[in-house]
Amino acid sequence: MSSPRAILHADLDAFYASVEQRDDPALAGRPVIVGGGVVLAASYEARAAGVRGGMGGARAYRLCPDAIVVPPRWSAYVEASRAVRAVFEAAAPEVEPVSIDEAFLDVTGLDRLGRSPSAIGRALRLDVRREVGLPLSVGGASTRMLAKIACGAGKPDGLLALAPDDELPFLRARPVGAVPGIGPATVERLDAHGIRTVADIAAWSEEVLVAWFGGHGGRRLHAVAHNLDRTPVRSGRRRRSFGAQAAMGRGPHGSAAIDARLVGLADRVTRRMRTAGRAGRTITVRVRLGDYTAITRARTLPLRTAESAVVLAVARALLAEERALLRRRGVTLVGIAVSALEADDAPLQLALPLDGEEAAGTVRDPRAVDTAVDAVLERFGSGSVTRGVLVGSPGSEGSWPDPDERGPDRG
Amino acid sequence: MKLHTAAQDLLGHLQSLSRIASGRLANPTLSGVQIAATGDGIELRATDLQVGLRIKLEGDVERPGTVVLPARLLLDITRQAPGPRVTLELRTEEQDVEVTAGSAVFHLRTLRGEDFPPLPEPSGAAGVDVSAAAFVATTAKVVRSAAKDDTRPLLACVLVRAEGEVLTMVATDSYRLSEKKTTLESPLEGSFEANVPARVMQELERLVPASGAESLTVARGENQVLFTVGEHVLSSRLVDGTFPQYRSLIPETFDHELRVSTSELREVVSRVSLLAQKAAALSLAFSEGELVVSAQTQDVGEAREALPVPFHGEAFAIGFNPEYLRDGLDTIDGDEVLLRLTSPIRPGLLQTTDDQGFLYLIMPIRLNS
Repeated sequence: MSSPRAILHADLDAFYASVEQRDDPALAGRPVIVGGGVVLAASYEARAAGVRGGMGGARAYRLCPDAIVVPPRWSAYVEASRAVRAVFEAAAPEVEPVSIDEAFLDVTGLDRLGRSPSAIGRALRLDVRREVGLPLSVGGASTRMLAKIACGAGKPDGLLALAPDDELPFLRARPVGAVPGIGPATVERLDAHGIRTVADIAAWSEEVLVAWFGGHGGRRLHAVAHNLDRTPVRSGRRRRSFGAQAAMGRGPHGSAAIDARLVGLADRVTRRMRTAGRAGRTITVRVRLGDYTAITRARTLPLRTAESAVVLAVARALLAEERALLRRRGVTLVGIAVSALEADDAPLQLALPLDGEEAAGTVRDPRAVDTAVDAVLERFGSGSVTRGVLVGSPGSEGSWPDPDERGPDRG
Repeated sequence: MKLHTAAQDLLGHLQSLSRIASGRLANPTLSGVQIAATGDGIELRATDLQVGLRIKLEGDVERPGTVVLPARLLLDITRQAPGPRVTLELRTEEQDVEVTAGSAVFHLRTLRGEDFPPLPEPSGAAGVDVSAAAFVATTAKVVRSAAKDDTRPLLACVLVRAEGEVLTMVATDSYRLSEKKTTLESPLEGSFEANVPARVMQELERLVPASGAESLTVARGENQVLFTVGEHVLSSRLVDGTFPQYRSLIPETFDHELRVSTSELREVVSRVSLLAQKAAALSLAFSEGELVVSAQTQDVGEAREALPVPFHGEAFAIGFNPEYLRDGLDTIDGDEVLLRLTSPIRPGLLQTTDDQGFLYLIMPIRLNS
């Protein structure tokens, strides 16, 4: 028997309409329809009047005469979608976007790190609201199918993460039409056999269902009723690196000032990595010099790390090798990125430090400090804990190397 | 060239030679075994350019000559030879060798003899004689800790140091480290230190009992080390670089020191390891008076077994690669093993309870708890 999975389905509510309401305060709280000829999206206010996506414009107008119709702004939706995806990817090791406004997240095993599916769901909703300004609904369950159903049940702007014992009762109580993939035609065919809820499907054996609905259809209905769905969450494009950078005003900056930035960057990058349950082996330092040309230096470690102290030590060593250059030409920006990522929840074979970087007596518990700091930040927000050297330093820090990989916890 | 020999002798030697001969090199002749028949006798040779092996073969030389034949194929033919004697004869016209064994006749095309490199000759003078039994026993204690792959060539070596009356060998793949110091019965005349590829050491482990030799001679040159075992000469290029400074990595003190029955722990570990597949870790959970060994493999199952141990203090669990732990326990010679541990992320040490000059340091697998 394999251990149960934890899957979240995250879906932006009335996505296009929500973006319009966000960007034009005059639309907030009012029925909004995106798209003229055919309704591409309707705000919840318009939906209350019966307007649905895919509906003809004329019919929508009859249902909701005071709706405000706006043309779609695709670039705004794409940008919002990308920002939301960055939030997802910082929160879960495996994210599979299924459309512009929804994604599955596999958060299996993260509860061991103190992050339950419902806690992650809450954080996602909060972060998307705060960072992107959009309402998000999240459903959580042990299968993709049930997570999606739960998400739908929690809408709008809701969260429903099912506990293992609640899954089957919840599922069985759903009308068959709530199951993804069961459309109006199937609903009608089921109704002909007196089947209206998922519990009605579960009342019949697989053989009977196959006899009524054919091999494929019958087996699928049986699987639905018993929540049998092993479809994995697969991210086509996995995040390849975690990075952050800090711009520094035109110098001159002493090495202590640069080092203070490195400390903060190492903390921030590794905190995001730990949040996402990832660790990496390649540490890259990027420095923009006084004349705005940039240099990068990288080192690959034998073992993956998500530890602040390790990343910092490597970053310092890389910069130390360029000390003369940095002093001569000045520094206007420093950045740290960690790549060659692996999941951090797999057991890790430790190795003897044969290259002499660490003597036996100095092997410390590398996670103790980091996880304690993480716990405080989670509870009280990212401003509540600051390392000594960072007190009083300006916060002009941004993400690097890929702005589209910006995490939710910057600044 | 024409010679007659016993199939059994030829087979034994070809097994060693075919481990050295390599079909993966650009020069196809190196997949072969060179057979040199002279008035002095018969010598078989194989090399992969890093390691070379020369073995004397008992037999009758009817006509001297030298040929190179595919090692693997000749081995397979010899293994299935229907009679006790084998005859090899070069047929110059046909450029092949006729192998006759009982009623079976084979014709093997020869490999290009001129592409077979000369192997180093034992110089005789500079060698140090070491007890073959002590050398092999010391090797057996450490060689499994050497790295199996060549990504860091020094880690695929055994550090061999002989001085005075102490023979020291060390091997580490960075996940575990074995050190064995053997006190010799009589002091050595001369000394040497060399990083010897582990596979050369393993070959010596096989050659020594097969040859029945009581001592072996080690001659370390600038780039080569030569081992002479009876009539066999095994040569190896030395690996460049300095063996890792490992001494400082062995902690001097540990928080926990337990004496545990070696056989009992070995059996428990072996049983529970059955459910530690796909690189899963073995968990050793210590609590007051008890050790619980457990393992689980996703989609396969779990196993656990408890045994009483004299543990006191705060409970903790440490993970180990089951193979590394088994290797360590297998090399412990004694009823009890001394298990020395500090924390789940610090190296553990396996030792014998009496001083046998042996230690096995093992790095944990960091578990998720």
